[in-house]
Parts: sequence; structure tokens; C-alpha cells
Amino acid sequence: MARFLIRRLAGLVLVLAGVSVITFALTQVVPIDPALAALGQNAREDQIQAFRHAYGLDRPPVQQYISYIGRLLHGNFGLSIRTRRPVADDLRDYMPATIELSLAAMGVSLLLGISLGIVAAVQHNGWVDGLARIFALVGGSLPIFFLGLLVLALFYTKLRWLPGPGRLDPYLTPPPRVTGMYTIDSLLARNGPTLRSSLLHLVLPALTLGYFSTAVLLRMTRSAMLEVLQQDYVRTARAKGLRGSVVLLRHALKNSMIPVLTTIGVTFGSLLSGAVLTETIFAWPGLGRYATASAVSLDFPAVMGVTLVSAVVYPVVNLLVDIGYHVLDPRIGVG
Amino acid sequence: MSRSNLLVRMLAMLAVVAVVLAACGGPTAPTSTGATTAPVASAAAGVTTAPAAVTEAPTTMTTATAVVAATAGTTTAEAATSGAAVSPQQTLLFSGDLSDQISLDPAVAYEFGGIQVVGQTYETLVSPDPGNPTLKPLLAKKWDTKDSGDMWTVTFNLDEKAKFASGRSVTADDVVYSWSRALDLNKSPAFLFSDISKLKKENIKAVDPQTVEVRLPKTASPTVFLSICSFTLAAVVDKQVVQANAGSDMGSTWLNDHSAGSGPYVLDRWERSTQVTLNANPTYWGTAPALKRVIMRNVTEVSNLQSAIETGDADIVQDLGAEQVKALANNPDAQVVKADSTLLVYIGMNAKSPPLDKPEVREAIRYAINYDEIVNNLLGGNGKLVQEIIPNGLFGHTGENPFKQDVAKAKDMLTKAGVAAGTQIELLIPAGPAPGGIDWSILAAKVQSDLQQIGLKINIKQIQQSELLNTYRAQKGQMVMINWGPDFPDPDGNVTPFTSYAAKSIAWRNAWDAPDIAKLGQDAALEQDNTKRAALYKQLTERVLHEGPYVILYQPTRAFGVRKNVQGFTYDPADTPSISFWRISKQ
Repeated sequence: MARFLIRRLAGLVLVLAGVSVITFALTQVVPIDPALAALGQNAREDQIQAFRHAYGLDRPPVQQYISYIGRLLHGNFGLSIRTRRPVADDLRDYMPATIELSLAAMGVSLLLGISLGIVAAVQHNGWVDGLARIFALVGGSLPIFFLGLLVLALFYTKLRWLPGPGRLDPYLTPPPRVTGMYTIDSLLARNGPTLRSSLLHLVLPALTLGYFSTAVLLRMTRSAMLEVLQQDYVRTARAKGLRGSVVLLRHALKNSMIPVLTTIGVTFGSLLSGAVLTETIFAWPGLGRYATASAVSLDFPAVMGVTLVSAVVYPVVNLLVDIGYHVLDPRIGVG
Repeated sequence: MSRSNLLVRMLAMLAVVAVVLAACGGPTAPTSTGATTAPVASAAAGVTTAPAAVTEAPTTMTTATAVVAATAGTTTAEAATSGAAVSPQQTLLFSGDLSDQISLDPAVAYEFGGIQVVGQTYETLVSPDPGNPTLKPLLAKKWDTKDSGDMWTVTFNLDEKAKFASGRSVTADDVVYSWSRALDLNKSPAFLFSDISKLKKENIKAVDPQTVEVRLPKTASPTVFLSICSFTLAAVVDKQVVQANAGSDMGSTWLNDHSAGSGPYVLDRWERSTQVTLNANPTYWGTAPALKRVIMRNVTEVSNLQSAIETGDADIVQDLGAEQVKALANNPDAQVVKADSTLLVYIGMNAKSPPLDKPEVREAIRYAINYDEIVNNLLGGNGKLVQEIIPNGLFGHTGENPFKQDVAKAKDMLTKAGVAAGTQIELLIPAGPAPGGIDWSILAAKVQSDLQQIGLKINIKQIQQSELLNTYRAQKGQMVMINWGPDFPDPDGNVTPFTSYAAKSIAWRNAWDAPDIAKLGQDAALEQDNTKRAALYKQLTERVLHEGPYVILYQPTRAFGVRKNVQGFTYDPADTPSISFWRISKQ
């Protein structure tokens, strides 16, 4: 196990190095001047020069890259050109919002996707199955921005069942920061109103963000379950007189979870990219919105910071999936 | 195996509970939907308190009344729980795109979002008097300008009643410290002091606790300096408080989360890219603000702004698009208030690039464009017909609009100038929407089709604004469509950039060097007599209209959505801040 982890970690370093080179190269190719983007058209030439000098933009690209990596190795992400704050501070401020939203969306899709998938498989070709398949089809084909605007227009503007954009009721003071995730911090602070408000504010963006992965998980669970339910051992279990639910949950479900686990790993990536749109529509102050704003103003340190953080997430999720395989089926080794 | 199965089931159950909690409000909080929507909605519905509704959790959320009633009772309770006992009735919710906020330090803030906050928490010595060339007293009760031979001397007498939120009096020492600090920090707005006013630290002096004396070289305009004194850069900070929290950057970082001014509001909290909360300054020396709290939320999507004003999640929303304005036209709870901006949307024509190097060709282009269609049809009323370089709202604006589409005349001019039909010209435009809410590309297409009628072939090239600026600043644009806003509320904020080649701004970018017009602009800036100054600007305006390398297309207006129970809302682009929250009240 230790050797496996070390190997994976070494791989992670390689991934990060590759990602940093590609991201840097991209920022050099794009014909946007970060100094002009930051200072606007009223800026005078000397201000622009001073700005370029302050951010090291007047040095050759290779030198810029090397000094960036040098600082990065000391844990310094540099200063954001757009917000003029340390990128590390920005990431610390915005990341928890995205983690909270992604986890909630993942929760939604695990819960809905897997349970609907099971029901659809059990009721194969029944009306529940039909509905679930339509649900999955819509989820797989509906663009996230359209869904976001739709649920906002319906549940917020029209029906007013749920709050609109933002993380918290503006009248409320956010809970004291521990994790930066309002729901958890509210729980820790035992603050009922902020807990309720932050949970309610999570519903629409989490459903929007999680719908696509719900659809994928539903389909995957359904087909995996259908396959497993036809296996001999399931028939044997039934023949032995075991209760239906026991057969389903104890025997069939676990064995159908391997492909589902793979899907979870893959869809987690789609959650991160979907967060960019969801956060914009729901005015959610997370990493996605930060990344968009930074990219538009070619804020190299910020773009690099976000990219590196996201680049860590993928290998880590893959690692967790691999460990998950082993837990589900000990015959699958982690080496 | 069975144990792990149990775990899976437990987790699943937990998740179910969490989602149910999220959907229904949870056991800790027996009310239904987001309190966000409640306060204004309840006021509109005439529901003041509904304690009974709070006791029982509604399991289904069917009627709007139930929602309104349930939440109305809890909002105050929530506010009290979070240690902030301000009722929604005493709170102003303002939403708009505030994503440009970088700093809340008056010496650093130079973005609309930042200035809007700083203008509420700090005060300047003088304040602009909208529509009037003179200034109003604020921290200074009087001031005068004297010609002292080789320099101008401007003396300010401070109001002895003025005090900071800390309770300390505002003294001349604070003014000297604040202005010197701005010069030392030398951030984005500092050039207004150092370059435009040619102000030096050694020339700012506290004569006595109530008197500040400033000396300016004769090359600087005291009139322009005084108008800069009304801008947030010149706001006075509490020296003791800032020095006590100076850190390594003269208190700049600290001032992002605290305020140290004498304004009607104090900064409560800045949640980056989310919202800014201001509380009324309890020791304010002037008339106390009507509303105890102002919450400024950063909402960038215009459709979200529309929903916010419709649902009452905002009392005021800033910068609605033409579509939203239409949608709100018959709303019983909200109205649209339009206000001028000081921006100008224009086309710059490179005066060294043929055929634009001939003044007659530039004049022909000005006669070829159908301005009325742009303002009335494309902008849907989100803009005004202005053709001169000084926008409406600033001193010196003449209101002259001599150009009206005249295709025959324009064609004739082109022929006389020897320009062949089908001559190609490249027009650079930025990506995204133009001020006034329409896309740059739509505006450019209109110009293209108008110029087609006189035989000019316009090739539109749309690029990122910063890339466009790179080309424009290098004098490499042939025709460039862009907007401009003055750095300070004085005609000189437009006249120098638009006329002085030496200032290396707009005139330079368009390779237009007209020394006599630039000299007129300089004389006007330095002129102390307002009547004479106005006459100089009129003379200059007329010359630039016909000789300059510009087609001014329109002056955009900003559309605000305002709930009908909000009173006292005004927007003045020349004022700092443009919206004075302390004058606003709610019924």
C-alpha cells in the first residue's frame, strides 16, 4: 500500500509539472496584455511600465516561469494581478464555497442517481424505469446554464420556494470561519438560522450542478444492476428464499458498484468544470467564478493557482476510486 | 461484509436527511423558504409580523402568503441571533456588478465598485454640486484660491464640528497626513494629485488645527485641483487610527476590512466578491442617515438583477439591460430610473492613416451615420444623443449636435476628397457589451451599413479590449470604436485626453496633433473665471466637432431598478459617490 501511494504521489508531481508548463504556455500565446487588462485605458505609459515591472511581466517568459516555480516550491502562489492579493489568500477564500457546492452536488447525484438506478433496474421496463430513463436523457442533454436559469426562474422568481443567487441570506452574518463551508461552520457554531439559510441556498445550485452526473450515474447503476440481477448467484440467493431487499442491497448492489465507482470518479471532473457556469449563474463566490474572472484578465498567477489546485483534485479522486475498488472487491489489488 | 453494508445504508440515510433538511428548512429552523425573499415582499404584502406562522413548520410550500408570513417573523430573530439587530425596513439592499472592487482604501480605490463604498464611509473637504460649476462645503466650510506670485495658494478652513467615527475631530493634521499618504502610496488614483494637480508633499501644510494650505505650481489648474479634492482620493482618513494599524503598507490592507473616516456609514464587513455591509455611523456629525444598514451585493448576471428587483431581494439594482427595462415597465412594485453616465461611446479615426488623414473624409463619416437610429432603436433609450467631447452633466457641455445623417452630402464630401468608392477601412471593436447594454458588434454592424451607403467598406475586427488597447495605444488602429470616461468630474478630464497630443492619451492614439486646439484646452483648464472658461470650452468644442478625429456616437445612460417603497434615490455621475445611500429611505 505504501509503495502504491508513493508511486501515485510521484505521478502527481509529474502531472503538476506538466500542467504548469501547459498553462504557462497558453497564457503566453493569448494576445491579451495583463497590465492593460488590469489598469484599463486611462492608464498612462509609466503606470503600465511600473505595473509590468512590479509583476515581473517585463522579463523573458522562461525567466518568469522559472521564478514562478521557484516561489511555488516555497508555497508562494504569487500576487493576483486582478485582485492585487496573494493568490493563496484568494484560493483560501473561494475554494471552500466550491468544495461545499461540489460535495452537495455529488451528494445529490449519488443519492438520486444510485437509488433511481436501482429502482429502474428492479422495475425493468416498468413506468418507473421509463420515467427514470427520460430523466436521465434530459439530464444528459440539458446544458447547465439553461438548467440553472430555468430552476431559478421557476423555484425562485415564480414559485418563490427557494432563495435565489448567493450563499447566504444577505441579512445574516456568515458563521465564524473554520472550514469556510457555511453549512459546516454553522453547525460548529450551532447557528440555526445560518445553517438553514446556507442549506437552502445550496439546493438549487447543487441540483443544477449535480443533474448531469445524476443522469450518468443513474444510467450506469441501472445497466450494472440489470446485468448483476441476471447472474446465477442472484438467482440462487432468491431460490434460497432470501428476502428481495436483502438480495438486492446485500448481494446485487455491491457487485454492481464497480463500474458505478468508475463513473463517479469521471463525473467528479465534470462537476469541477460545471462549477464555473453554475457559480456564475448563482453568484456563488467560488473557485469557478474566480477562475473565469482571472482568465478574462489574463491574471497568470491566479489562473495558475486554480489550475494547479484542480490538477491535484483529479489524481486524488482517481486514487480514491482505486482504493474504493479494493474495498468493494478485495480481489482487485491496489498495486 | 454486513458491517460495510450497514455503513453504506447509514450514509445513504444521512444524505436523505440532509436533503430533506435542505428542502424543508430542517428541525432547527421551522420556517420554509429563504429569508432572502422575505423582508420587502412582506412589506409589499402588508404583512408586518406573523409570529404564529413561525411555530409550526409548513411541510408543503404552496401559497406565497404562507411563505411571506412565515419568513417575515423570523428575519428579525435571525438578525438578532447573528448579533446584528437591524430590521429589513432599516436596511437597504443594493445589487450590481461590484466585481471590480479591489480596495476600500481611499488612497487606492479607483474602480467604480470601490469608490461607491469609500464615498459612503469617508468625506472630502469639498463636494461637487451636481449641475453647478461651483463646489459645496463638506469637511471644509470655506476655501479660497490666491495668486501668490510664482504659485497658487489654496487655503481650506475646516468645519470644527466635523468628527471621525472614532469620535476624534477632523483636523488639518489629518488632511495633511491623508494627502501625503496618498502620494506616498502612489497607487492608481495618485496621479490626480501628482500629475494633474502637480501637488507635492512639501506643499501641503497645516497652518493651524482648522486650516490647511496647499501650494500649486502655476502650470496646474486650481479649479481642476478643487474638483479632484471632491474625489475619494482626497478623502480624509483618521490619522491616529490608520497609524495605529499601519502594518507594512500604511494601513492599506487594514482599511480593506475597516473604515477610518468621517462619512455617514462605517464599514462593517467586506466579503470579497460577495457583498459589502455598511452600518450607519452612530456618531455622524451631519444629518444621520435614514437607513441603519446598507448591504451591497455583487450580482453580475443581468437576469439575476431583474429577478432580485422583482422579488424584492434588492431595493435597488444597478445597470439593467434594455430587455430588463422593458420587462419592468409594468411592474407594480418596482420602477426603472435612468441616469446619465459621464461616459462617451465614440469612434476614433487615425488622422495619419489614409483616407482618414483628410479632415473632409472624417467629416463625411460623421454625416453618414444615423445617430437617431442608434440611440432610439438599438439602445432602446439607454443612451443620449451627444456629439461633443464634453458629456452632458459636466461643466462646459454645450449641447450642440450638428450631425444628422445626410448621405448625399457625405458622398459629395468623399468625392471632393478624392476617395474612391469601395475604399476599405478597418474598424477595431472590443468583445462583449458596450455601455448602454448592446453588443459592440451590433453597434459596429450599424456603422458598417451606414458607411456602406457612402461607398466605404468597413472591415470589422472584434478583439479583447486589452488587445485592442494595445493596438490603439501604439497608434496602430485605423478606426477604433470604444468608450471613455473622465478621471475626475471636470471638463478637463475629457478635454486634455481628447485634444492634447502631448498627453499621450486619446488624441495621440489617433495621431491627431492640433497644437492650437490643445492650447485652447490648457487655457480653459487654467481659467479661473467660470464665464470665460465656459466660452473657451465652447470655442474648443466647436473646433473638435469638425476638425477632430472623432465620431461621438452617444452618451450611455444607466438604468436602475428601484422598488417603489424606496425614496430619495438619485444617481449623479459627477458626484462622488454617485449614489448617496444616506439620502435614501424606505417606506
